[in-house]
Amino acid sequence: MTQTPVTTATVAAARPATWWTPRWSNWRLALVVAAVVLPASALTLPVNAAFWLSLAAATLVAVTAVVDAWGRRRGPLLVAPALALLFVTNLFPLMWSLGLSFFRYRANRGAAPVFAGFANYQTVFASPIVWDRLQTTALVVILTVGTQMIVGFLLALLFEKEFPGRRVLLMLVLTPMMLSYVAIGAFFRYYYEPTFGLLSQAVRVFTGRPFILLDTPARALAGIIVADAWMWSPFVMLLVLSGLVSVPAYLYEAAEVDRASWWRRFWTITFPYIRSLLLLALLFRTIEAFKIFDVVFLLTEGGPGTSTETIGVYVYRLAFQYFRTGESTALAYILLFIVVVLTNLYLYFVKQRSAEA
Amino acid sequence: MAKGYRARGVRQGGWGRTGLAAVVSVAYFFPVLWIILTAFKTHNDALATPPKFLFHPTIENFIAVFRRSYIKGFEAVDTGFALFFFNSIFVSASSVVIALAIGTLAAYGFSRFPLRGNDTYLFIILTTRMLPPIVVIIPIFLMFRVAGLSGGYAGVMLLYTAFNLPFAIWMMKSFFDELSGDVEDAARVDGSSETRVFSRVALPQVRAGLAATAVFGLILTWNEFLFALLLTGVGTRTVPVAMAQTIGGDIGVRWGLLAAIETLFLVPVIVVSFLLQHQLLRGVTFGTIKR
Amino acid sequence: MRIQWRIARALIVVAVLALVDAGTPPAPAGAEDIVLHMAVPDWPPTRIMKDLADKQYKAPSGNKVTLEPDFIPWPNYYERLAASLTSGEKKYQMAVSDSQWLGAFIEGGYYLKLNKYIDADPQLQAILRDIHPAVVDAYMTYPYKSKNYYGFPQMPDLLVVYYRKDVFCNPAEQRAFRARYRYKLPCTPQEMNNADWSMVRDIGEFFRRTAGEKLAGQPLTDDFYGIAYQAGKGYDFASMQINGFIWQYGADIWDETGVPHAHAVGVVNSDAAVKAFDHYLALTQYMPPVVKTGTMDIFKVDELFREGKVAWIIQWIGFGESTITPKTSKVADKSAFAMMPGLRGPDGKITRWSNIGGQPFILTTWNNEKVTREALDFCKWWLSKDTQIKFAKAGGQSALKSVYDAPEYNTFRPWNHAFGPSLDWQKDVWHVPEFFELLVEQQEEFNKAITGQETAKQALDTIASFQEKLLKESGKIQ
Repeated sequence: MTQTPVTTATVAAARPATWWTPRWSNWRLALVVAAVVLPASALTLPVNAAFWLSLAAATLVAVTAVVDAWGRRRGPLLVAPALALLFVTNLFPLMWSLGLSFFRYRANRGAAPVFAGFANYQTVFASPIVWDRLQTTALVVILTVGTQMIVGFLLALLFEKEFPGRRVLLMLVLTPMMLSYVAIGAFFRYYYEPTFGLLSQAVRVFTGRPFILLDTPARALAGIIVADAWMWSPFVMLLVLSGLVSVPAYLYEAAEVDRASWWRRFWTITFPYIRSLLLLALLFRTIEAFKIFDVVFLLTEGGPGTSTETIGVYVYRLAFQYFRTGESTALAYILLFIVVVLTNLYLYFVKQRSAEA
Repeated sequence: MAKGYRARGVRQGGWGRTGLAAVVSVAYFFPVLWIILTAFKTHNDALATPPKFLFHPTIENFIAVFRRSYIKGFEAVDTGFALFFFNSIFVSASSVVIALAIGTLAAYGFSRFPLRGNDTYLFIILTTRMLPPIVVIIPIFLMFRVAGLSGGYAGVMLLYTAFNLPFAIWMMKSFFDELSGDVEDAARVDGSSETRVFSRVALPQVRAGLAATAVFGLILTWNEFLFALLLTGVGTRTVPVAMAQTIGGDIGVRWGLLAAIETLFLVPVIVVSFLLQHQLLRGVTFGTIKR
Repeated sequence: MRIQWRIARALIVVAVLALVDAGTPPAPAGAEDIVLHMAVPDWPPTRIMKDLADKQYKAPSGNKVTLEPDFIPWPNYYERLAASLTSGEKKYQMAVSDSQWLGAFIEGGYYLKLNKYIDADPQLQAILRDIHPAVVDAYMTYPYKSKNYYGFPQMPDLLVVYYRKDVFCNPAEQRAFRARYRYKLPCTPQEMNNADWSMVRDIGEFFRRTAGEKLAGQPLTDDFYGIAYQAGKGYDFASMQINGFIWQYGADIWDETGVPHAHAVGVVNSDAAVKAFDHYLALTQYMPPVVKTGTMDIFKVDELFREGKVAWIIQWIGFGESTITPKTSKVADKSAFAMMPGLRGPDGKITRWSNIGGQPFILTTWNNEKVTREALDFCKWWLSKDTQIKFAKAGGQSALKSVYDAPEYNTFRPWNHAFGPSLDWQKDVWHVPEFFELLVEQQEEFNKAITGQETAKQALDTIASFQEKLLKESGKIQ
């Protein structure tokens, strides 16, 4: 059995005679039904009934789509479960919050949401606090992701070769990212603490006085970045390492025969193997760092003053402390937009580079 | 499979490398080591100045994780931590396995049978990880309540699976992309079914990728806090949530207890990573040539 | 096709179930067995409550009533409770709530107003009369000090002084202190009750020692500090202390009882308030170095005292139990307790005010009449003299006059003598729904001043204009 590549032609050929023919393979009709049922039930029925009815409609669409694609279209079938799951658990809440971002609404009040157009977006854009927190976040993202990439990469180079005790030592390096934030928060606060802390105690041996790390904005930022980069560099290391070890040995042997320099060997042989994984590491770490919350909240609480308060902490305050639900979702969508643009730009450049190579 | 390859690119380093790696690793590990040491200290030793490296170890903290008295002078009661540990293991393991299954299939699909707008789908999948979770908490909470998923295992597992999916798909896709399709095509010519091509040809070649993805997924799920806090009930609470009971209230931090919980909590994830590490370090491709 | 018929049938069943499900309200609690689910922070006062309820509580109605608390760790208690209430989960019949949260969650319609039940029940009226009025206002009323009642005291708490009697009463230290300051270093709780802030300054200066110097005749291996009180950024871990200073100076925070005519500008940043805040800041120089990072919260203060690094602190009573327990404290047998200091006027009299702590617990609005009745019966049992004495014996506090005024009350714990008298001068921070915005912004500005980024005046000016603007927007100031 050979696989026919999915092309526009086969898709067109598979199209049913008419979209309104009630057949189990007619996912278009199911989609139309769902498009009618969903808003109708949401508007007229109580929330429980609307939910189950919508679920039934969605299931209908899914079933017809599967029946339609069965045996013919492998690609869509393979990705369908993943997309369906993400749709249910992510896209629905996303759409919900997107809707809320256009309403004046507080989740902790009985009052119904009032449509406000772009008012929430205006409020957020006009807020100097948001800009200030965004700057702090940008600084944190650049510094912590940069540090993670460098440290992670160096660690991967260290563990690239086979040596006695490698497996055990590698585990030691991997453990930081397995710790929970509760423990990281408590213990790093302790490490940095001037009276009891290990750092201060170590410095005291030389200076004779307690060392206060977190008293200025710059040093508080450093404290956050050290903790976060320490925790997540192993993530980068592991990704790079899984690329490094997959480089076929004969390529290196050939390079040695050619007496290629270390740099050249790295650039022409190693790098192509780890490029996509480096990209992955950078992407995921940037996305995560942009949302940074726990480390900041647990270590400095955004202080001293507001100097280390990141946008993640501010979104939390808006959403859960101030209960400005509409505003917080608007801000979240602006953030989403920023991250989407950034990652797209990034992916674009990477593609250009690889096209040139 | 192709013949005449010299395995993967792992080369020999020798004892010199061991020395260097040991120094770096131990330094890197030190903050964790201190947590583990603290787990064996009495409360009064934990914050001693200067810090105590040598002390009489005690296992009272480990006992207290499971049985202790919450009120001074009252008898010790079960803390429920045995259940919390089970919950964490059960929820993480099942969601990682499900995410890996669904994600690998999807990744194989995206890599081998690209859809129209393949990159767009992939990007949308990535987007689901970009929003600060706090703003989707209320809709998710509401949705789960209506669907009857709040408080049970199913809800958290579903969410964690979705949580792991984007990474699993992207990761596995990059591994499938590195593989040459020639071997798979050869198998097809030999008359293998598509299922067989996937399970007997493609999958074995990405074992390292599966291992790495499983480890990452486990780590990300293992310590998830916010959703666990809000979506688990009394009987399904996971360790990261319960761990916070060692902080605040009537005392700053119960250092020994917190450290003991964290130490115990590290064990399963370290064991799994250690076992999978073998796969991880074997290399991704068995001599197959990058296409 | 067979399989398709099955799918269709399943879909129909789901749809029908959905409609049926929508039609039936959630099943009411059984007639005989009633479970009261209660959201509570995980700490001794709530654990004691559960223990007493399990062992002692018999519902007068004859129903089998069980208290089923959901013990939620303190650090995340607010998030868990807020998410549960706002999502409409309707999971809890009762909940422990910080008094500041009252407005926000009452406006949301989650906390049950109790007036009609109290009006109809002489027993509840008697309990209400027995609770100290300051506690009634702080824990039960919204708007603050109105006659709308919502909660009952779970764990009443207030700030008291913890101090090291071994160093304060040491003869050598006593002599040295008198030689330097020309008056007696307080030793007994009665003497310490008479302390004012200038004496606190002297204590801070006097007990500041570096490693190698002697303390009470013993050479020190580590630095030692005179005083500490909360000066952190998180939650309310500076405001609770600063409010005390502000009231003692005759200044005020924005007064919600004066809505809509009370202003923030000119009140919050009055000269007296600036003086009060400056006084608060001036004392931080005698505190352990962590204060400079702006993270000296109540937990850090607790830790510094229990580890024996500081001679004198101001702290909530809730931390007392772990301080006098040898297993968790290095100063278990060396600690004594007294009332929080006040400001001594020119006439020699001490003005005292402080911000009340602790938590009330409330009933939620979605319970049927039967459950509400059972919950109220439970409240009556909890606030009965007998139960409150048992609670106090196990380490809790009681706001009932008949309990804390009884002489035996002072024998339960070493800080109890300071509790009753202190109640008279407790006030509470705002109960309005905007409290979190007010609090967070204020904590940020206080933190800037504590870490030396701005002056007391700058901080209070910013706070005042922020509050004026926010409260105008919400219609609280006209």
